[in-house]
Amino acid sequence: MNLSHPDRRERLDRLAAEYALGTSPPLVRKRLAAIARGDRVVADALRQWEERLAPLAAEVPVITPAPRVWARIASRLGIEMRPAPPPPPPAPWWGRLALWRALSIASTVIAVALGIAKFAQPPGPDVAPIVVVLAGSDAKPALIATASRLDRYLTIKPVGNTAPAAGQVFELWALPQASPPKSLGVIPAGGVVRVPLAAPADESLTNIPALAVSLEPPGGSPTGQPTGPVLYSGAVERMF
Amino acid sequence: MSASAATAQAERSARLAALLSRVSLSDQRAFEELYRLTSAHLYAVALRIVGERAIAEEIVQEAYVNVWHHAGTYDAARSQPLTWLMSIARNRALDLKRRREVDTIGLPGADDDSPGIEFPADGPSPVELLLAGADARAIRDCVETLEAGAKQAIALAFFHGLSHGELAAHLREPLGTVKSWVRRGLAKLRRCLDQTVAAR
Repeated sequence: MNLSHPDRRERLDRLAAEYALGTSPPLVRKRLAAIARGDRVVADALRQWEERLAPLAAEVPVITPAPRVWARIASRLGIEMRPAPPPPPPAPWWGRLALWRALSIASTVIAVALGIAKFAQPPGPDVAPIVVVLAGSDAKPALIATASRLDRYLTIKPVGNTAPAAGQVFELWALPQASPPKSLGVIPAGGVVRVPLAAPADESLTNIPALAVSLEPPGGSPTGQPTGPVLYSGAVERMF
Repeated sequence: MSASAATAQAERSARLAALLSRVSLSDQRAFEELYRLTSAHLYAVALRIVGERAIAEEIVQEAYVNVWHHAGTYDAARSQPLTWLMSIARNRALDLKRRREVDTIGLPGADDDSPGIEFPADGPSPVELLLAGADARAIRDCVETLEAGAKQAIALAFFHGLSHGELAAHLREPLGTVKSWVRRGLAKLRRCLDQTVAAR
């Protein structure tokens, strides 16, 4: 089977397409993979089809594997596990932007996956949402905040059964670039809820690179600054 | 896709490519970061195909061990880093799934649902996934041009790793029909994507 011969290009293309899609019969899969190891033309055909279909794979909502997976990989490769993280620096927590910076890549990915919501809506000038995936230090999404540019509220949706401890509330904070957090209000209890904004979302979130959620006593922080632990944070992503 | 999303994606690709080149020099910290940034993609793709956590975890484990040893074979001029990584996991998942089918149930029957075809009750359906996506705009537009049967067959195959036989069973259509949907669908997809690329 000389698949790299020009006459066979069409057949190669079809086989490569089915390989990348995953429908090739087992023997054909095995054979193609083996040929590709020694034949650049065949290898390129497979790779090109993988690239063509790749944007689809990026749509699958991400799922973080259990920590044991990394532990096993590290132990198999003899990689030292990183020692416990150093104690937090004395700067105020909103100044330690590393947390949400680190999360922003993960949340971009999730936000792209959430493009699903965007395309499910009819097209129009104001469908593109603002998305903030609020995740804990384990990078697991806990709450997802969305808004259209002109909405005067943020829609907050819990992921799984995220809820504050009994007798406490979640408070939502805007984290401006260089100043202390600004409260956006207490997140009402219950599934999908709205947190009202004073101005349209696009405007309210201008120069706000990230949001965070802290655990507070009922009614919200008595001091105007977070008093309880900051449980979740995430970068503000604009999908337009 | 908006300019800012495109830029963010280009930056991410550049970052992953840089990490891969450091991994090829046995940089453990780069490897750890690469894992942190990409493992949730590989795991999600594998889990959708094999449907069992333990097996998906094993696939991710094998994929990264492989990446550690072969990061030097990654060619930035030829593929996007995330595509390359996800292809490793996808292909492992598909190989394993096919092998298990042959081992355990023989060729899937043409009637009733074969074991192992389980779809998560919540979350987007394969067709929704296929039609979603900002980055996937070109392919999404092209997929829209496919006839309904081809669209559904290609989505199920891609996201759940269904074989032709399983597709036929799941869609309750003759094997030949499903095969030709897939074949014609892919050919049409390619023509459409080539035109889109040429038109840019």
